[in-house]
Amino acid sequence: MEKTGAEILLQTLREEGVDVIFGYPGANSLPIHDKLEESPIRHYLVRHEQAAAHAADGYARATGRVGVCLGTSGPGATNLVTGIATAYMDSTPMIVLTGQVTTDLLGSDAFQETDIIGITMPITKHSYLVSDPGEVKSTVKQAFEIARSGRPGPVLIDLPRNVMAAKYEQSGNEDVTVSVPQKRHVERKKDAEDLQRIANYMNMSERPVILVGGGVKLARACDELSGLIEKGSIPFVSTMMGIGSVRSSNGFNLGFIGTHGNELANRIVHDADFIMTIGARFSDRSTSIVKEFAPLATIAQIDIDPSSIGKVIKADIPLVCDIREAITKLTPLVERKERREWLSRIEKERNILGKDRSMKECGPAGAFIRDVQAAMPEETTAITDVGLNQIWTVRSWETKTPRGMITPGGLGTMGFSLPAAMGVKVGVPDRGVVVFSGDGGFFMNIQELATISYYNLPVKVVVFNNGHLGMIRQIQDLFYGSRFNDIELGNKVDIVAVAKGFGIDADRISVEDPGAGIEKMCAAAGPFLLEVIVNPDNYVYPIIPPGRSNIDMIGGRQG
Amino acid sequence: MGIRERIIAILVNNKPGVLSRVAGVFGRLGYNIESLCVAETISPEISRITSITNADSDFIDKVKKQLTRLVDVLDVTELFPGQSAQREMILIGINLDQEGRAEIVRSIGMFDCKIISMRNDYCIIQVAGSREEVETVINFLKPLGIDKIARTGVLALRYKDSGF
Repeated sequence: MEKTGAEILLQTLREEGVDVIFGYPGANSLPIHDKLEESPIRHYLVRHEQAAAHAADGYARATGRVGVCLGTSGPGATNLVTGIATAYMDSTPMIVLTGQVTTDLLGSDAFQETDIIGITMPITKHSYLVSDPGEVKSTVKQAFEIARSGRPGPVLIDLPRNVMAAKYEQSGNEDVTVSVPQKRHVERKKDAEDLQRIANYMNMSERPVILVGGGVKLARACDELSGLIEKGSIPFVSTMMGIGSVRSSNGFNLGFIGTHGNELANRIVHDADFIMTIGARFSDRSTSIVKEFAPLATIAQIDIDPSSIGKVIKADIPLVCDIREAITKLTPLVERKERREWLSRIEKERNILGKDRSMKECGPAGAFIRDVQAAMPEETTAITDVGLNQIWTVRSWETKTPRGMITPGGLGTMGFSLPAAMGVKVGVPDRGVVVFSGDGGFFMNIQELATISYYNLPVKVVVFNNGHLGMIRQIQDLFYGSRFNDIELGNKVDIVAVAKGFGIDADRISVEDPGAGIEKMCAAAGPFLLEVIVNPDNYVYPIIPPGRSNIDMIGGRQG
Repeated sequence: MGIRERIIAILVNNKPGVLSRVAGVFGRLGYNIESLCVAETISPEISRITSITNADSDFIDKVKKQLTRLVDVLDVTELFPGQSAQREMILIGINLDQEGRAEIVRSIGMFDCKIISMRNDYCIIQVAGSREEVETVINFLKPLGIDKIARTGVLALRYKDSGF
């Protein structure tokens, strides 16, 4: 039967399980939109393409499925770029579809033409220019396989208008087999030896710690990891992306490490004699200065991505392996232990640092976030923006499920939270969805209030308003002689009125005196925006200055 | 650990845009490609890239891992001098006067080179050989007034190699 390129595209997307596309049409993507109406795939029209990419990213992070966004050629495609880079840094499986000028115009500086493949080369796992409708099916299948497999990431498919409009005779039920070559640097037979070595270290060491990265969630290995931790009584720390892999309230949880991390986590990593790193890439935010990171520890690193191993810190035992497979095989090798001495030492440290300290460290904003969590349904996903709001949230929100908190940790993209939350709500409509943003990030994608309002997505939006770029203010205060240059946003905008103008109910409260504000937000059937006035001096402590080690914290315990 | 010339052979799918991805990895890691040679292998859907970079041994590890992440890269191997045949070809254009012309014709037999084109005032010479051999010829011809040089860059094959 004869079908257009666009019809084959949509049919293949369905076969890959796609039910939602976030997009914004333009002349060169019209053949696709023209056929989208007939497809069971729902299309959400955003108000800016950047939001389409973030929404697809949020959808993927919340559901574990591949997110899909669609923009037109030229500016439509370039507007997607920040969202693609965000997904790339945090290894989100995503398919990015872009319209392109007709193939005869390629390279002619045609109207709305950009070389989006060239532009996105460093921020995609792979990309394709489809030049024939006969290639659509195999290309899309391969793109999904690449996006999902190994270390996941965004894959871009550039779709010239004429290729999407052209008809192609499909030879009935053609079976497209897709193979993405599995490239391994470590031989399989060595894996078993390495796992045994890791287990031996775990069993013999006196002060072991597991460092949990975002890869554990991506590999769906959270339950397996919890099992391993319980069996071996092994304390664990997370990177920011690893938070939620194991319930925050787990007794072995020491918090997250790095620049804005928990003091306990940073100190215990510094004392550890063995660290098993799993699905983490030792970003500079986690390690601070590398040569003083975990100076006493033997380090094992397990990751699916060979390029993450040894990139920053040389692992004593590197192992390229699927994480779930590794943990499953490791668990029987790890001895059941009580580790009284190590755990009591940690407990002592925890008591010295003060059990409820993380609330004080985030000031009234941290307490407020806990109040919001208490008022929201048990099954709620929090989405953070970037800046103080992000650190307040990741430190104060008690993450109960692996996908219970979503944050753009790698790229640090301001403006992420609002559009990402749309994707989360569309992906998991039964869960509560709450956004924690600052005023800075909120203004970056404020137009998406229109999308939320149009589709009546019941997203709760908390905007912490301190009239400043808060985290930059803290950095200027501490490290730039309190010269507060170029960071004042002011308070001339009536955010509540703006939200209402978009058709979203809203209220304004003070962080110290939330009154009935939280209840009102939670009780609202539809979307609701809560503007929370915060003192610009509500910083986050402790904080590690640039060029210092993880135990060299400002606002931390002395000595 | 020291900085030296590193030859890397990369097998890739013979498709548009692949070279640009490969070159992008070198650039992003901050390394310069000193020479580069690309052509299809015995199997037309696969190309062999041979590149030279001056770098320390860290480079090999980094570039190998990053290149292997690329979907269209099939294999990455470092080639060492003792274990591989290495050849380079050069075309040298020389401006001639009467004396130079005579000198070239006289001396060209000393080296493994060929005169590809000879006119009254200009000739092109082909040289093929190891890096040292072609450098020797270049140094010898320099005083005669080299106008232009085109080099293939080093090509290398392991003495015992299977596959492409």
